[in-house]
Amino acid sequence: MTRVRVTAPRQSAAPASGRVVHSHEATEDSDAGRIFVRSLIRSQLRLALVVACGFLVILAVLAAILVYGPGVAETRVMGMRLDWLALGVGIYPVIGLSAWLYNRAAARNEARYRDLVEDK
Amino acid sequence: MNPAVGLFAFLAVSLATAVIGFYGLRVSRTTSDFYVASRTVPPWWNASAIGGEYLSAASFLGVAGLILLSGTDALWFPVGYTAGYLMLLLFVAAPLRRSGAYTIPDFTEARLDSALVRRVTSLVVVAVGWLYIVPQLHGAALTIRITTGLPSWVGSTAVVAVVCLTVVAGGMRSITFVQAFQYWLKLTALAVPVVFILLVLAGNGTPPQAPLPVNPTGQAAAGAYQNISLLVALLFGTLGLPHVLVRFYTNPDGQSARRTTLIVLGLLSVFYLFPTLSGALGRMFAPELAQSGQADALILLLPGKLIGGVAGDLLSALVVAGAFAAFLSTTSGLVVSLSGVISQDLFGGSVRGFRLAAVMAAVVPLGFAFMTDTLALAGSVGLVFAFTASTICPVLLLGIWWRGLTDFGAIAGMITGALLCGGAMVAGTLTGAGNAPAWLAQPAAWSVPAAFAVTVVVSIATRNRVPASVNRVMSRLHVPERPVATER
Repeated sequence: MTRVRVTAPRQSAAPASGRVVHSHEATEDSDAGRIFVRSLIRSQLRLALVVACGFLVILAVLAAILVYGPGVAETRVMGMRLDWLALGVGIYPVIGLSAWLYNRAAARNEARYRDLVEDK
Repeated sequence: MNPAVGLFAFLAVSLATAVIGFYGLRVSRTTSDFYVASRTVPPWWNASAIGGEYLSAASFLGVAGLILLSGTDALWFPVGYTAGYLMLLLFVAAPLRRSGAYTIPDFTEARLDSALVRRVTSLVVVAVGWLYIVPQLHGAALTIRITTGLPSWVGSTAVVAVVCLTVVAGGMRSITFVQAFQYWLKLTALAVPVVFILLVLAGNGTPPQAPLPVNPTGQAAAGAYQNISLLVALLFGTLGLPHVLVRFYTNPDGQSARRTTLIVLGLLSVFYLFPTLSGALGRMFAPELAQSGQADALILLLPGKLIGGVAGDLLSALVVAGAFAAFLSTTSGLVVSLSGVISQDLFGGSVRGFRLAAVMAAVVPLGFAFMTDTLALAGSVGLVFAFTASTICPVLLLGIWWRGLTDFGAIAGMITGALLCGGAMVAGTLTGAGNAPAWLAQPAAWSVPAAFAVTVVVSIATRNRVPASVNRVMSRLHVPERPVATER
């Protein structure tokens, strides 16, 4: 085997690997293909924005309750203050759940796109 | 603390890093191994490596220190660091993986079909990397000073030396294994002492010296503006960090990039429980550290203070080892991605060029670290996130989701963000920490929207410069890969 020195990443972005191929070659040249791609991008963007805004609203409501809710922050749950518990522990499952829901929905959008392209 | 403990821990971590690097080096032999090594690595390893690289001095030492200083306000830092990965998952992970770009300059060049954009992006990326390495070196200086009593410069110089040696000798090889190991080391190093301390305290029934909500420094609490601005910086800064992007290239396809990010979120959530617990313990049992300006050393000093004896020394050694794992992993990740960028744009990508670039990438921030003072670690890293969010984030987000982005728009946006946020950072440093008004101390809330606005307006004004390749590139970014098996 010849010795090759690897000094820097490849400039020309190579396809992911031999195992997978991009399926866009078949679609990007036709008008219908372009419309499918556009609607895929739009639905993925809408999904990402909905999840991001939902998460930020939850965060804002939580912060507002802790700051302005009288006595809420000082409430004790199992001997621990609620503001420490909510920000130190409680918010993380919300982040994880948002991510999990997003992953499922994004994969579903992609599956729908694949069905469309293959039906053609 | 026994000085030998700190030295021993540092040497052990450096040695372990070198040994794992060497072992990994023997696993990966062929050229393609170097590029795609991690495709044969399970997603758990990959996610651990991302966590290992991401959790820096700010997370390991800074978060607990800041919680000691400012209580619940500081809890927004770990929330922001973790939620930043959620934003990365939503807007960047899969498309960026599908772009096939290895660095951010690669991406902008391919997307906008312009060498000029590439050069400007490279400059910004190098600036971000340098800014981000400085707090790591401050952390190392602090750790060596506190644990061994040696002068501060020994710590930062030692970290730069170890990183330079490993990167120059090994390049990008086997870094995944090293980083993954360092995530688990960092988690152990934080979790074991905290759990031990909790058990001992529960056993003794020791009453806390100060109640949790008491503010040990008497500093005014951060206002709503500062917390919101900080969140903007952390949420939008994470997705532009140069060393994080490289790690996504090692996923086989877009879907697995998303799966890996989900695991990373889990790993980060578990990790941040422990700095939070340590910070709370510090507020209750060691409030005097905040008054003596040693808040960032809380994690290092807590086991010796609350347990003491041989057990305390052993736990301290573990914590110091974890801290150095944090400095080494983040610094080496940054140095590798920076030297890739520097060597390609400056030295034409030769081996000698890569090595020279690696030394440059590590030594310049060492100079900065000598010249500047240790701010609160988490705070100075927060500013780096603000800079990234004002420069790289608009280009990445608009490049991925908006066909109208042009090369001029991208350049104008990056320059605006860099001038505004960089200017605020310089002005804030000149007025001195604590004296700067909130809008200067935490610029993200206005500099990020300004950078977005300039990018969009200039792109619309130069509409005729939208590259002809935009349709091809956009479908490449968003269309799912298909397994060969189902191909006819």
